[in-house]
Amino acid sequence: MAEEKKKRAITRLESSALVRPLVNKMYMEGTLAGMEERPVAWSMVNWWEGDIIMRAMGVTPVYPENYGTVCAALGIAQKYMGVSVAEGFPTHLCGYAQNTIGYTTEMKREGKVPEGAPMGGMAQPTFMLSSEGYCDARFKWFQSLRQFWNIPVWTLPFPHPAYTDTSLQDVHKVNVEYMAVELQGFIAFLENLLKKKLDRDKLETMLDNQEKVLKVWWEINELRKAKPCPMHARDFWTMMVPCYYLAYDPETLTVYQQVYNEVKARVDNGIGAIPDEKYRLIFAELPPWHSLGFFDKLAERGWNFATESIGYHPPPPMELNGGSDLLYRIARWTYWQYINTRYRAAKMGYPAVGAAQPFYNWAVEYKIDGILTHPLVTCRTATFWLTHWMNVLRDKLDIPGMSIQGDIVDLTVFDAATALNQAPAFEESMDHFRKVRKSKGLDW
Amino acid sequence: MSSKGLAKAEDIYANRAGRVRELKAEGKKIMGYVCAYPPLEMVTAMDYAPIRVIGSMDQPITKADTQVASIICPMLRSMLDLGMKGKADFFEGFIGAHTCDCTEKFCHLYQYNVQFPYYHFLDVPHIAHKASFGFMKAGFQLFQKTLEAHTGRKLDPDRLKEEVKKHNAQRALVRELYALRKQDPPLLSGSENLQIMLSLLSIPIEEGSGMLKDIIAEVKARKDGPKKKAARLLLWGSPLTETSIIDMIESLNANVVMDDICTGTRHFWHDVEMTSDPLDGLAKRYLDDLKCPRTFRETTSSFEEDQEVRFGYIKDYAKEWNVNGVILQSMKYCDTHGYEVPAIKAYFDRLGIPSLYLEHEYTMVALAPLKTRVEAFIEMIS
Repeated sequence: MAEEKKKRAITRLESSALVRPLVNKMYMEGTLAGMEERPVAWSMVNWWEGDIIMRAMGVTPVYPENYGTVCAALGIAQKYMGVSVAEGFPTHLCGYAQNTIGYTTEMKREGKVPEGAPMGGMAQPTFMLSSEGYCDARFKWFQSLRQFWNIPVWTLPFPHPAYTDTSLQDVHKVNVEYMAVELQGFIAFLENLLKKKLDRDKLETMLDNQEKVLKVWWEINELRKAKPCPMHARDFWTMMVPCYYLAYDPETLTVYQQVYNEVKARVDNGIGAIPDEKYRLIFAELPPWHSLGFFDKLAERGWNFATESIGYHPPPPMELNGGSDLLYRIARWTYWQYINTRYRAAKMGYPAVGAAQPFYNWAVEYKIDGILTHPLVTCRTATFWLTHWMNVLRDKLDIPGMSIQGDIVDLTVFDAATALNQAPAFEESMDHFRKVRKSKGLDW
Repeated sequence: MSSKGLAKAEDIYANRAGRVRELKAEGKKIMGYVCAYPPLEMVTAMDYAPIRVIGSMDQPITKADTQVASIICPMLRSMLDLGMKGKADFFEGFIGAHTCDCTEKFCHLYQYNVQFPYYHFLDVPHIAHKASFGFMKAGFQLFQKTLEAHTGRKLDPDRLKEEVKKHNAQRALVRELYALRKQDPPLLSGSENLQIMLSLLSIPIEEGSGMLKDIIAEVKARKDGPKKKAARLLLWGSPLTETSIIDMIESLNANVVMDDICTGTRHFWHDVEMTSDPLDGLAKRYLDDLKCPRTFRETTSSFEEDQEVRFGYIKDYAKEWNVNGVILQSMKYCDTHGYEVPAIKAYFDRLGIPSLYLEHEYTMVALAPLKTRVEAFIEMIS
């Protein structure tokens, strides 16, 4: 065991171990709620728009997306994907969705949580909560599950303004107002379904906690700008889970504060997440959950992933105005997560580079040497921009990129060996462009 | 352009870009747009000829591969490719829309690479709740603002009402044309129909309506229409920008007599209600009346009711056009249509109408294996 630990090149945060019990608790809550016949919702990640409202109404959310990562990591997703295909769903659909469709088919067939389902499985839902956010799968997926469950599906709105529109205050006003009005509709839907009223005091307490969680999680990620980077992407992926699913929970805040203290101590003492940081990289976008050990191999070469996965990063402190109404506060945070990088670019005087803005900002602020992209066979949302981002970073900042084909769930398409073979050439490229940047007056 | 009626539609279909270049040379201002969601009434009210941006199944994608991965919608990749090769240089501007996730991203990438002097992106919600209409209308107001800023003149509300009437009149002509396929044999083939629809998407509204009137008169009088065949099929699915798939189907013992695709009925079917503020009627028409799987429809108490809400209008088509089979087709990587397949298939099963799902790669060369499957399907339903 000790020998095996020695071999791992990434020094994981000790406090990241505190996240596991939180996640276990989340799954246990879902299982218990199902057993006790309390309301359960299958919910999409909705960027804090609907979760705390459900929680405040006594609903226990269960997250099939996250369950997809669990099934992928344990190698069970392949089986569920096969079932989904047998049900007539195309193979190119979101891997998480295929996993859920297969799981649900088995659940209906067996009349209970399917045999061998990890983490106690997902309890049968009372309703499903979709989101318009980021990708079509987030509402099409649950809509397609209607053939298995005769239960309602509610969809939360999520405006997608153009990059050029977001500097316009009236656009923000319209967008946030729309979301807030729709949240009122969501509450009415829940009150009607559950035959109880929303406890607004409870909601406010949860929202206060959520805002504190977002703040600490943001600060933790800011600390990663230090050289050497004190926290590897692997810790990010472990620790993003409570931020997205358990931000209402005071325990999450306590854990994140401990994580902050540990990361801060590493920064103060010049300790990096890997022993010899030679290259600082961005990972875009979602990782191969089934093959995370791959990053240790890269860490052995001195590759430290200082930032990653823009869609899952916490927003910075709020800069949108709009009063203290609870629903507007909730709406603003979700919206702010989507548009904040453009504000930051304006504030920092960066050029506007449209969809590549988050990566431009990060590349400058995290002093990035390269970007490793991971095109996913079953996720167009996470794949669409990857080539463009690589092009922009190369053209505007002389930062090279490398790509490794794979998938979030389907482990058969991930080719780690080829990526590792390409690593030496990519290192030469990163070395070369480091000189180019310096020659152009950039400071990294 | 000297040809008339069906010949004219055929000419435009064969050389879409050529006709657009002619229009530009005649002094027309050309505005490109994507999907069926931009309110074309507002565009024509500002004296632009709206021309839909589409891809090409028979031209290889080369330049777009430097910008976007191959697992993205092949039609969007083709559109980007053509734009990057200078084949969209007649557009003074481009109207994008958040119709599906890939289209949203495509619009921004298209503008980034082609750099049109005017670009507006419409944020179309995926839901049609009561508040969504206000949101849609606010989006149209912002669109109006940027159009006015670009042109330096105000949009006249009375002119907009006139344009609504003009577009509704064209929609009525399209419905009249489709009605000519209700009889057996139909007076117009599915391929001819698609050629006409694609031509309408490539010319100004007045020219299109004139062409439609000529075609309707010509078709009503023709003696050389399609022959009676064993199968009367409805075609559902993702956009078709070439007739190749319908050609393949109609080369067999089948007539395609109706469709539910966005280069067909979805684009043209529904009128805009005349409302005191025309933007209200436009918001309702484009958000709710226009039926595409990209919009989430309110769920109901049972899956059967849910299917009815989502697909009931297609059942009406099937009945009125007396179809005995449905071809469900989608290009690969089209998620919004892909998720729909088992539910819509189950719906037609329940109605007792056989259906066949075809997934294609948006290329001409990959159609041969599909032909065998369609042939077997036609034999089965005949």
